Amino acid sequence: MGTCDMSNLKPEASDPREIAKWAERYARSRTIPFLVQWVFITTLVVVLGALSQGAIMAWKTGHSGLQWTCILAIAVFTLTLLWFSIAKGGRRQVWHISQWVYGREGYASPRGRRDADKRAKRMTWLLPVGLGLGIYHLIGLVFVGLGHLDMRYLQPFSALYMVPFLAMMILSQRLGLWAWIWPVLYAVHAVLLFVGAPIDFPGFLRYLDIIIPVFGYGFLSMIVGHFYSRYAFRRLRSLARVGLEDVLVETGEE
Amino acid sequence: MSGLDKTIHEPARLRILTILSGVDVADFSFLLETLGLTKGNLSSHMDRLEKAGYVDVRKSFKGKLPHTEFRLTPPGHEALASYWDDLDAIRALQDTHSAARNGRAAGPDAST
Repeated sequence: MGTCDMSNLKPEASDPREIAKWAERYARSRTIPFLVQWVFITTLVVVLGALSQGAIMAWKTGHSGLQWTCILAIAVFTLTLLWFSIAKGGRRQVWHISQWVYGREGYASPRGRRDADKRAKRMTWLLPVGLGLGIYHLIGLVFVGLGHLDMRYLQPFSALYMVPFLAMMILSQRLGLWAWIWPVLYAVHAVLLFVGAPIDFPGFLRYLDIIIPVFGYGFLSMIVGHFYSRYAFRRLRSLARVGLEDVLVETGEE
Repeated sequence: MSGLDKTIHEPARLRILTILSGVDVADFSFLLETLGLTKGNLSSHMDRLEKAGYVDVRKSFKGKLPHTEFRLTPPGHEALASYWDDLDAIRALQDTHSAARNGRAAGPDAST
């Protein structure tokens, strides 16, 4: 039996096992699929909100044609939202857009993701908990509408469900540290509003008290994840290529 | 040296396996872009690793484009872990020998 080349035994500037760590960090912080979903869902929710306002205004002013057009559009957009969230076609679109954004970089999924997906399929409680999130917020809005809950306290009310929900999603999907930015900021925002810190919006802007934590903090966490993935990929590439240049020259590769 | 797995000991293949040990699945483009190898070179390394039973290859189509994914198999995980253990043992031995040689070269007064 021939002897092995000794070059791999030379002490290197960093342990090659670091490559595995950075590959894992990179795979866990690829947030483009989440960002694609976020943009699509946020757009649809904003459109649905505008259509609801349009339907109410049309009903108040007696424009029944416009009112029914808005209701029809709400039905269409709601079905689109459900298709995107549940159907395989929606997931395929997310995949294609993500691959287009990542370009030549290719695809790597984090360890445990397959198990997490399998577990998610077995989690029969996931759908009721997700539906509960919507119902809980609807109840909150009704309370605000009836005057039982001040608009200022809608976000703290929301945080009681939203923060554990987000934490559960992050743990079950085994997302990276970046994902914790969302529930942590959500909880801090809720506490600050509850204790009376002057961070609430005045007048007609008061809906931003809930919109910013729901969508803004989510967007922030995904952007942080994305930038971290850029850093992790650069580190991974530089570590993985150390020592390979000599080999490529020897074998005539570029 | 005969204890070290020659399939793994090749630098490019060692890096491929190390990357795959940190992820669940990686595709051909990801490995290509990370390692900076040519397509032909990477393909030949992946063939070798697949034949050794260290890597599981899954070929599919995404639309009209072929898509190849790689995953480290349980024997691949074991072989890589065993490789690192062996390498650490050899390096420790080398360090011991170097220290002993340096001690002899410095002579008995070196510590004073």
